[in-house]
Amino acid sequence: MSARGFSGSVIATLVLLALLLLGPCILPIYWTMIVTEIFIMGLFSMSFNLLFGFSGLLSFGQAGFFGIGAYTAALLIQTGFPSLWLIIFCSVLVAALFALAIGYLCVRRDEIFFAMLTLGFGMMLFTIAHNWRELTGGSDGMPLCSVPPVRLPGIEWSLFPPVHVYYFTLFWTAAGVFILWRVVRSPFGLMLTAVRENKQRLAFVGADVSRIRLAAFVIAGGLAGLAGVLFCVFNRMATPDFMHWAFSARPVLMTILGGSGVFFGPAWGAAIFFCLEQLVTAFTENWMIVLGLILIPVVIFFPQGIVGTLVQWLGDRKESRS
Amino acid sequence: MEAFAVNLLNGCSWGMLLFLIAVGLTTVFGVLGVLNFAHGSFFMLGAYGSMQIMHLFNSFWLGLLVGPALIALLGMALEMGLLRRVYGRDVSYQLLLTFALLLVLDDAVRIIWGPAYHVVEAPPLLAGSFAFFTHSYPVYRLFLVAAGPLLGLCLWAFFRFTHWGKIIRAAAMDRDMAEGVGIRVPLLFTLVFGLGTWLAAVGGALAAPHQSVGPSMGERVIIESFIVVVVGGLGSFPGAFVGALILGLIESFGTVFAGRAQMALPYILLAVVLLLRPRGLFGREA
Amino acid sequence: MRKPRLSWILVAFLLAGLLAAPVSALAEKPVKMGFVYIMSGPFSTYGQFAKQGAQLAIDEINAQGGILGRQVEAYFEDSTGKADVAVRAIRKLVYQNGVDVLIGLDSSGVAKTVVPTIPEMKTPLIITHAATPDVTGSLCNKYTFRISVNINQNIKAAALLAAESQAQTWSTIGPDYAFGHQSWEYFKKYLKEKKPDAVFLPDDKVAFAPIKTTDFSAYITKLMESKPDGVLVSLWGGNLIDFVRQADAMGFFQSGTQVLMTLGAATEVLYALGDKMPEGIWVGTRYWFLGNDTPQNVAFRKAYQKRFGQFPSYNAQGAYAAVLTYKAAAEKAKSTDKEAIAAALAGLTVTLPVGTITLRPEDHQALTDAFWGRTAADSAYPIRILKPFKVFPAQDVTPPADTTGCNLR
Repeated sequence: MSARGFSGSVIATLVLLALLLLGPCILPIYWTMIVTEIFIMGLFSMSFNLLFGFSGLLSFGQAGFFGIGAYTAALLIQTGFPSLWLIIFCSVLVAALFALAIGYLCVRRDEIFFAMLTLGFGMMLFTIAHNWRELTGGSDGMPLCSVPPVRLPGIEWSLFPPVHVYYFTLFWTAAGVFILWRVVRSPFGLMLTAVRENKQRLAFVGADVSRIRLAAFVIAGGLAGLAGVLFCVFNRMATPDFMHWAFSARPVLMTILGGSGVFFGPAWGAAIFFCLEQLVTAFTENWMIVLGLILIPVVIFFPQGIVGTLVQWLGDRKESRS
Repeated sequence: MEAFAVNLLNGCSWGMLLFLIAVGLTTVFGVLGVLNFAHGSFFMLGAYGSMQIMHLFNSFWLGLLVGPALIALLGMALEMGLLRRVYGRDVSYQLLLTFALLLVLDDAVRIIWGPAYHVVEAPPLLAGSFAFFTHSYPVYRLFLVAAGPLLGLCLWAFFRFTHWGKIIRAAAMDRDMAEGVGIRVPLLFTLVFGLGTWLAAVGGALAAPHQSVGPSMGERVIIESFIVVVVGGLGSFPGAFVGALILGLIESFGTVFAGRAQMALPYILLAVVLLLRPRGLFGREA
Repeated sequence: MRKPRLSWILVAFLLAGLLAAPVSALAEKPVKMGFVYIMSGPFSTYGQFAKQGAQLAIDEINAQGGILGRQVEAYFEDSTGKADVAVRAIRKLVYQNGVDVLIGLDSSGVAKTVVPTIPEMKTPLIITHAATPDVTGSLCNKYTFRISVNINQNIKAAALLAAESQAQTWSTIGPDYAFGHQSWEYFKKYLKEKKPDAVFLPDDKVAFAPIKTTDFSAYITKLMESKPDGVLVSLWGGNLIDFVRQADAMGFFQSGTQVLMTLGAATEVLYALGDKMPEGIWVGTRYWFLGNDTPQNVAFRKAYQKRFGQFPSYNAQGAYAAVLTYKAAAEKAKSTDKEAIAAALAGLTVTLPVGTITLRPEDHQALTDAFWGRTAADSAYPIRILKPFKVFPAQDVTPPADTTGCNLR
């Protein structure tokens, strides 16, 4: 990438950020909330894609860590923990710890076995949330009547109005994405890709494949937990559904829709997913059949996803011109 | 003792139903290398399809014969139209394509037959119950216990002794080689996928008199049949049998000892097997 | 050089999208009602019933000149039975469609997690199905009302029935989630009050089956092994259908055990089972279409059957009744202002097909009768009907308002 290209990319990102900052001024309140949800699911999908797109590991249990984040936050809020910063920190930490323990057992497996193993562990977490009624409220989940305000020196910012939640989520999503960006661009990120491309070769040159994968798993789990906290604050609840395998399928679908080979692909996938859903459910209750009918051609003809295909198409056009 | 025997029978009959579903899944995986997420939907379609035929002609056996055959045709059409295009790709794309199929098929069933629950009656021959210790036990469940191994045996004989069975096994082992000796592999794949969907649909048709037919049927069995197949060893025939039996028994006896962990039992089984013996109980070395 | 170009294109798309984003309509001529039920997936049968009931009510009202002279417009949203989706649906109805009232909620879990978000929307919510006591208990708020029977009322009636029976030792089979466990806990509590010598089997002897269960034989075996005199069945929907057929085949109903099915008289279950529903079983429901012969119920029953070809289920009646309840509140308040409606709903007495109910001002729970009956065959009906049919008056089965944990002040 040339220097000019880099600066162009930065400018584009900044313009995008500025637009997102202005979002609530332009958008009706309901769409502000939809965009908030897109941020959260976008972050969740991007953290999933650190495993899927960058490391070649298809995890079917990411909702487990998302849910751990949500439940830890909900439990801390319910016990009257006053500091939102600490709540977020603790929840992400707990999610990452769970990811460390589960990842340790999973990362030695590949492909379908990895997928099934993560599915199994995710569903065990689901069962705990669903059946440990004394702690988690069981199947009903945990309703939260209030969320502590954001406290900065001199400012107290309530998270009751949707617009405040929007900016709160935007801030944390941006932070999460920044971490991911740094990870992907680091030497470690290159190693991840190398593991995906050729596990044996990397092992030959002395790299510990399992440890590299485990590190990615922990980062992805922690960020999934962050997304979970944000979702918990946004909806003021934590429910076992957040941990079910059907919820784990969401980031998979969004990533495929957007494109796993592009850094922001999963986030765009989330945006496409939500906009489509809003569009389709306005006409029919059968959103699933429409989603399926859209996914089939995407998987068959555009395996790089919608945004990924767009990137490639633009790239090809440029190359043929030069 | 008595409770033990009844639970054993319960576990076996549930296990054999799982086997009927899982055996198609494992066959398709063994030959085509595709883990079919929509397999549960074919199970459900089998139940609805045969129910429709039963209502039209008022015969359980005709429904069992015709319904699954129609679903197998649908499966073959879907293989030719869609699945064929993703064979060379990563496993995740095949999973996703079949997941998309699941979304479409499940919603389609609800649109066609409505969301209400339906009930199918067992044929007169298999209705009623017999005395078992102090309990009475339904004849139909015993029929299920017998149907599983019987069908499994037929399949085994088919793969072992018939010309087509041998060809399929050859193609599963080495696709290029099979093509080299003149086997029309794409046709073969279509037929195998048809066989897999047929097995799922037969499972659905046989399950119909035993449980209510409703739009959530497929969703409820798919993950469990995945677990059976992985535990038994992907692509392994005896593996599917043993895996299904184990899962059936664990779930049945789990009601006695597991308490709150009941729901997690299948997943614990899955994790333990994958951690200790990743290729499954009967799986070949990858 | 590839990346910036793409980013710019996407930015342009986003800009275009923002500019084209729909601006919420301002014109507020009709009365808008937002319905949130399970419209898709395995349990969509409940949402579809509710939709039919709501449409019937709205068409009748519009034909008679609407509410306060204004036509009624309905918006249906799908909760899919998941709390986060239900919250999004409610936000859409309130912020995008600008509805005057929210009606719905099938699942207790959804109701429990959604209700705390209602005050921020400042829109009245009428719950017609979800039975968790908490939404008119510890989680109650100014805007949330329930016109249907809650678990307390349904189970209290079951306990009164159980106290009359000969059965001494009781067990249960229920779904392995909050509803099943709560049903059993309340049953134990209420029966103990009426019949202190009643015996309840310990936790490892009772049966709770995960909701995805289709094979209940192991649970039925467990129940029959422990030989209770009576069993409380809190399974519902497809689970109940599977249970009834499998238990029947295993001789459970012939064993002389007293059986109480808390949701056994739901029409979707009775239609599916037909004559395979055993006779002589006590079944409960939130509404029974033959429950009374008031002109209003007869008219509703006839109109519903004429239009949809079936007798109305409790969920159809629930949605129908919620529309009528809103109409009554609007007429009492002489306005559709949300605050005025919420104030009018509190303490409102209204006559519905199910009977006359009063929304208790202390906790917003309806004082509504609970219904139980014994299944019986009748050649005039395609399904089992209830004979005898027992009405438990609201004041006998509803816990006093000061015990619900609700504090509205």
